[in-house]
Amino acid sequence: MKKDILIIFTVVILVAVLLMGTEFQSVDDYYLTHIDDITPQSKTVTLTIDCRDILNNYDKLTPSLKSEKYVPKDGYILNKQKYVLRDGDTAFDVLYRVVRYKKIQFEYQGAEDNPFGSAYVKGINYIYEFSCGESSGWVYKVNGVSPNYGCSKYQLSDGDNLEWVFTCDLNNSYKYSDDKDGDDK
Amino acid sequence: MKAFSSMHPFVLMIYFLSVLITAMFINNPIIQFSALFGGIAFCGMLTTAKQKLSDIAFYIPLLILISITNPLFSHNGETPLFFMNGNAVTLEAIVYGVFIAVMVIGVMLWCKCYSLIMTSDKFLYLFGRVLPKPAIVMSTALRYIPMLKRQSAKVKKAQKAMGFYTSESYFDRLRFSLRVYSVLIGWSMENAVETAKAMNARGFKLKNHTSYSNYKFKTVDFLLLALNIALIIFVFWGVGSGAVAFSYYPQITHIDTSAFSLAVYSAYLILVFIPFFIEIQERIKWNCYRSKISALHTQRMKKEQ
Repeated sequence: MKKDILIIFTVVILVAVLLMGTEFQSVDDYYLTHIDDITPQSKTVTLTIDCRDILNNYDKLTPSLKSEKYVPKDGYILNKQKYVLRDGDTAFDVLYRVVRYKKIQFEYQGAEDNPFGSAYVKGINYIYEFSCGESSGWVYKVNGVSPNYGCSKYQLSDGDNLEWVFTCDLNNSYKYSDDKDGDDK
Repeated sequence: MKAFSSMHPFVLMIYFLSVLITAMFINNPIIQFSALFGGIAFCGMLTTAKQKLSDIAFYIPLLILISITNPLFSHNGETPLFFMNGNAVTLEAIVYGVFIAVMVIGVMLWCKCYSLIMTSDKFLYLFGRVLPKPAIVMSTALRYIPMLKRQSAKVKKAQKAMGFYTSESYFDRLRFSLRVYSVLIGWSMENAVETAKAMNARGFKLKNHTSYSNYKFKTVDFLLLALNIALIIFVFWGVGSGAVAFSYYPQITHIDTSAFSLAVYSAYLILVFIPFFIEIQERIKWNCYRSKISALHTQRMKKEQ
C-alpha cells in the first residue's frame, strides 16, 4: 500500500518533468551579456516596466516585498529605453530579452502550458501576480492601450511604446485603457 | 503501555486539534520541525520496531518526493541555481519544498497517533450525544478502511484456494483484483446496511439511549487541559503579534530570536512533547514497579530457603 503510493507519486513527478520538457541552462547561460546594438537602420521599440500602482496601494502589498529592493522608490523597475525590434517580435519576446539582459528576475508560463495559447507573465523582479491584492498582476500596454491579445500573440511594429504595468486592480486597468480609446466617460 | 490514551477523551480531542491546527497553519520552520519531532517521538512510543522500520522506509522517500515537487512548479526566489525551460530553479524554492515536506509528514504522523489513540468508542463518547448521526457515520466510515483491508485479504485467499487466477501473467492478476474488488463492494454494501440496522435495533438514535463509558474527568485531565489551553493561547498570541512570522519568498527571512519569539517556540515545543513525556514517565514507573516486584520475589525466595 505505502509502496504503491510512493511509486504513483514518483511516476506523476516524472511525467510532469517530461511534459514540461527538460531544457537546462546554467545561470550564466540564461542571462544575456549582450543585446542587439541600435543602428540607424534597425527598427526599435521603447520598453518600460512600471509598478507605480503599488505605491498607491502599499498597505495591500505582501509584507515580505515591502522593500526598496523590490519596489523602487519611483515605481519604475525599468525606465523607458529604446531596444531593437527583431522581425516578428511580440510583446513577450522583447520583455523576455530585456529582462535577461538586465538581470531582472522573471517568471512566466509558457504558451504551451497556457489554456489561452499565449505566454503569461507571472512575476517580474519578485513582484508576482496577487502580490498586491487579489486582482493584481502584470498587464501590458502598447502606445497606452491594452491590446486584447495574449502578450506572445501581439506583434509589435516599429516605434511602438511598450509598457509592462503592474496593476493592483485588473478591472480598473481595463476601464482605463478604454478611456484612452476615446470613449467620452 | 499507553498512558496518554487513558486520559479523558475530551482532553485528548482538544490536544490533537490544537497540535494539528498549529502544525498545519503556522508557516514557520521551527514550529514545523517541532511538530515533526514531537510526532516522531510520540509515534515511536506507540509503534513496534517493525512498524517503525516500515514507517522510515515510507516517510523518507516521501520527504524527498514532496521536496522536489515545489521547485518544479515555483520559481520565485533570489538565488537561482540553474534554469529549466526558461524559468529559474531557486534555492528558496527547494528550501520551501523541504519545509512543506516536513509539515506534511509531521501532520501525517500526528494523524497516525490520533487514529491510534482516539478509538471509535472515544469518538462516539464525545459526539454520540451531540451529533449522533454524523458521529456514527464518521466512526463506521473510519472503521471501513482497516476492515476492507482485512476482508480483501480473506477474499483473495479464498479465491486462490479455489484455484482461480494462479498464473503469473499480468492480465490475469488484473482480472483477479477486479473480481476481488467487485466482491468487496457487494460485501461492504451489505455490511453497511446491516451495521445501520443493528445500531437502530439497539436504539442508538433514541433520546434516552445511554451507552456505557468508563471515562472520568480526573485531576490529571484537568491539569493537562489547563496546560494545553495556556500553551496554545500563548502560541496563538505569538502568531497574532507576528513574532513567528516567516516568509520564504523572495528571500528566506532570518528566524526571529527575540526573547518573546523564543518563548513562543519553547511553549510549542513543550506542547508537542507532552504525550512523549507522559509515556516516558509511565515507562519509568512501570520499570520501577517491576524491579520492586522482582526484589520482593527474590526476598521471598530467600526466606523460603
